[in-house]
Amino acid sequence: MATQHSRAAARVMISPAVILLLGWMLIPLGMTLYFSFLRYNLLMPGANPFVGWENYSYFLSDPAFQTAIVNTLLLVLGVLLITVVGGVLIALLLDQPMWGQGIVRILVIAPFFVMPTVSALVWKNMFMNPVNGLFAHLFQALGLAPFDFLAQAPLASIIGIVSWQWLPFATLILLTAMQSLDSEQLEAAEMDGASPLARFFHIVLPHLARAITVVILIQTIFLLSVFAEILVTTNGGPGTASTNLTYLVYAESLLRFDVGTGSAGGVVAIILANIVAIFLMRMIGKNLDA
Amino acid sequence: MARAVTPRRKAINTALAWGIGILIFFPILWTILTSFKTEAQAIADPPLFLNFDWTLENYVTVQERSNYFRHFWNSVVISVGSTLIGLLIAVPAAWAMAFVPGRRTKDVLMWMLSTKMLPPVGVLVPIYLIFRDTGLLDSRIGLVIVLTLINLPIIVWMLYTYFREIPGEILEAARMDGAGLRSEILYVLTPMAVPGIASTLLLNIILAWNEAFWTLNLTAANAAPLTAFIASYSSPEGLFYAKLSAASTMAIAPILIMGWFSQKQLVRGLTFGAVK
Amino acid sequence: MGQITLDKVTKRFGEVEVIPPLDLEIGDGEFTVFVGPSGCGKSTLLRLIAGLEDVSGGQIRIDGRDATETPPARRGLAMVFQSYALYPHMSVRKNIAFPMKMAGVPEDEQKRRIEGAAKALNLTDYLDRRPGQLSGGQRQRVAIGRAIVREPAAFLFDEPLSNLDAALRVGMRLEISELHERLKTTMIYVTHDQVEAMTMADKIVVLRAGHVEQVGSPLELYRSPRNLFVAGFIGSPKMNFIEGEEAGRHDARTIGIRPEHVSVDPSGPWSGVVAVSEHLGSDTFLHIHETGLCDVMTVRAGGELDVHHGDRVRLSPDLSKLHRFDGQGLRIA
Repeated sequence: MATQHSRAAARVMISPAVILLLGWMLIPLGMTLYFSFLRYNLLMPGANPFVGWENYSYFLSDPAFQTAIVNTLLLVLGVLLITVVGGVLIALLLDQPMWGQGIVRILVIAPFFVMPTVSALVWKNMFMNPVNGLFAHLFQALGLAPFDFLAQAPLASIIGIVSWQWLPFATLILLTAMQSLDSEQLEAAEMDGASPLARFFHIVLPHLARAITVVILIQTIFLLSVFAEILVTTNGGPGTASTNLTYLVYAESLLRFDVGTGSAGGVVAIILANIVAIFLMRMIGKNLDA
Repeated sequence: MARAVTPRRKAINTALAWGIGILIFFPILWTILTSFKTEAQAIADPPLFLNFDWTLENYVTVQERSNYFRHFWNSVVISVGSTLIGLLIAVPAAWAMAFVPGRRTKDVLMWMLSTKMLPPVGVLVPIYLIFRDTGLLDSRIGLVIVLTLINLPIIVWMLYTYFREIPGEILEAARMDGAGLRSEILYVLTPMAVPGIASTLLLNIILAWNEAFWTLNLTAANAAPLTAFIASYSSPEGLFYAKLSAASTMAIAPILIMGWFSQKQLVRGLTFGAVK
Repeated sequence: MGQITLDKVTKRFGEVEVIPPLDLEIGDGEFTVFVGPSGCGKSTLLRLIAGLEDVSGGQIRIDGRDATETPPARRGLAMVFQSYALYPHMSVRKNIAFPMKMAGVPEDEQKRRIEGAAKALNLTDYLDRRPGQLSGGQRQRVAIGRAIVREPAAFLFDEPLSNLDAALRVGMRLEISELHERLKTTMIYVTHDQVEAMTMADKIVVLRAGHVEQVGSPLELYRSPRNLFVAGFIGSPKMNFIEGEEAGRHDARTIGIRPEHVSVDPSGPWSGVVAVSEHLGSDTFLHIHETGLCDVMTVRAGGELDVHHGDRVRLSPDLSKLHRFDGQGLRIA
């Protein structure tokens, strides 16, 4: 539909966005890469000599790094497992006929709109606190010993908090996908003698496959960067028990002011995220053509 | 289409769904309730559900002690500001890509998205240093810049998926009807694009309001929005549940309401149109 | 006035030439139909005339003036789109008023024309509705109304009936024909449906792969198709083509005979077995196998003919209506 004139205009209209994003991507990325090869500590001003791969070997051989990688993976996988399974089940339930469906929907998605620092603090203090938290009261009422969630099971507690935040997202997307399923398909399967369970596994689940993939990929991008929840609950501790990669890089750079090592960690984080990103981009790209 | 089910079945569904809904919503409900208690009632054992003396004193105290509304205003300025600037840049870009697609349009879109995949921690150090050296650290303008840039890909994408649904034939009809570029934009395109732009605006204000990596790392006392201000409650300083709840309630209430209005667009915006 | 001349008009998309140099004359007041299979370039041609696409070469003249570089709005043409392209956020009244508003027509004149168009198109009761609240046929009429009020030099229709169901299509076809009778304005109409072309056109332009295969009145095309493509495209059911020995007997590579020119006749020279007989009441269409001439021969017979699947029948062609084609598929006069 386009004419020569409109093409030129289009290019002018796109360029501010492209130039800004290009700058936003290339300049800091280049600096991170550059710093990662320097001995550069903000507490030790002076020359910042080139040290090659030293920062990388230091960062990668740090025992905290291995813990952080394991924690990052546990956090991502744990949250994904809870939110996807929970999301499918809740979406399935919400798709049934009932009274007040709209209100239940609103209740279920609410946690997604709560800012991370608020949800982390509310959970930390009002629920998980070993003295005054609701869980402590509950345990006491049941005659159990109080449990200090964030000290004794810090990572699991954070997984719980983050899952609460992301469960609505998974539910909402899966519910939307479920509602696009043609009910005649289900009726056809019913006529063909498929039991409810069989209908779920052979029709509903395959129909959801695409939405589940999208949920997994998008959540992974965000979950790799979980930060505020850790900062306000455990500060990565006790020790490094709840430190993930993002938090470790933050700690290196802005707590220990070791710019060189922090940058090397940042590059590692970018590489990790890119592996996921490639899959996600393929999915979305395919959809563009459809 | 929902099939007719027996009332019994429907009642069971209803009970189950409401149970789960209330369970998931409970932490928010509890926060709101606690914000109206005194500090002593907030930690009472057994917990008080509704049978307490409702008070507004926490809201007053939070404002008095910490100048709450300055942080609230920071949040407003940062989230609305970054979204508006983002729209200003993204509307022309998305318009051009949707209506004058070229051979590379798809690549540009995908590339823009890929910048969103960049983990923030990967560029934390340089941004921090640039901000320190240019005096943007702990300034609202600095945060507006960063949040504009990190949300720009989402804004472009959302607008693009909305614009693409406006049939090209309508714009051609307008041209045949004698509309110049100005009238085309004014009378045809804008009215048709407004719903899409509005939901993009809404969703991005929500995202920017809740952003908690850059806001925590780039602000201190001055420009701290609510995310960072609330984080300051993480250091235990005695009994403060009721005040934390009051501060939290005020921080999440506006977004909760906006969020409920935008739930449909949320799916679309956050999945980049991959699920509708 | 509305005389449109295409002079060596060419359109290329990148390397692909979708319209090779093409000459065409459309007379004032003529109802011209561009017809052809999908992808033949008929819509592109219409959009070139509209100015929605740039021509790659050649000249478009409207009433003798070069309009090749004129933007669509200033060509004085009105277009009805396949999807109707109504503005969803405007009422029917505002939709119809839009082109006049753009042209700066005074309010009372706008009102007068809207009312005139609404009356002519049976839209008076719907003027304050939005397009979304209308049926397909009503939307179509609004699109036509929007075109009429501009009092254009020519109307361009881009497959306007393809989104309507069969019954509505017949009704709208009549309405558009009546509109043409009343307004006597030039109309250019694009369709892939040869029935629409035959019933509405003063002049049919048959296109294939950007080439004009034949230009003529419906009956000219029916009586003397210039080549095999036109012969097969115009007429329903399709012409039967016979090759081989039987064709040789008439000094041709291929001969064609329309179903309506073959009759069931016990003394006829051809014979075959009835595979399907479609009884329409007014006619019966027989699909006949095992003729030894072609795969399936279609024959139009009288409405109350009593033949069934499996019957063997003898057939007799009307030799005066036989079409003969040479090795290049061109008509032999």
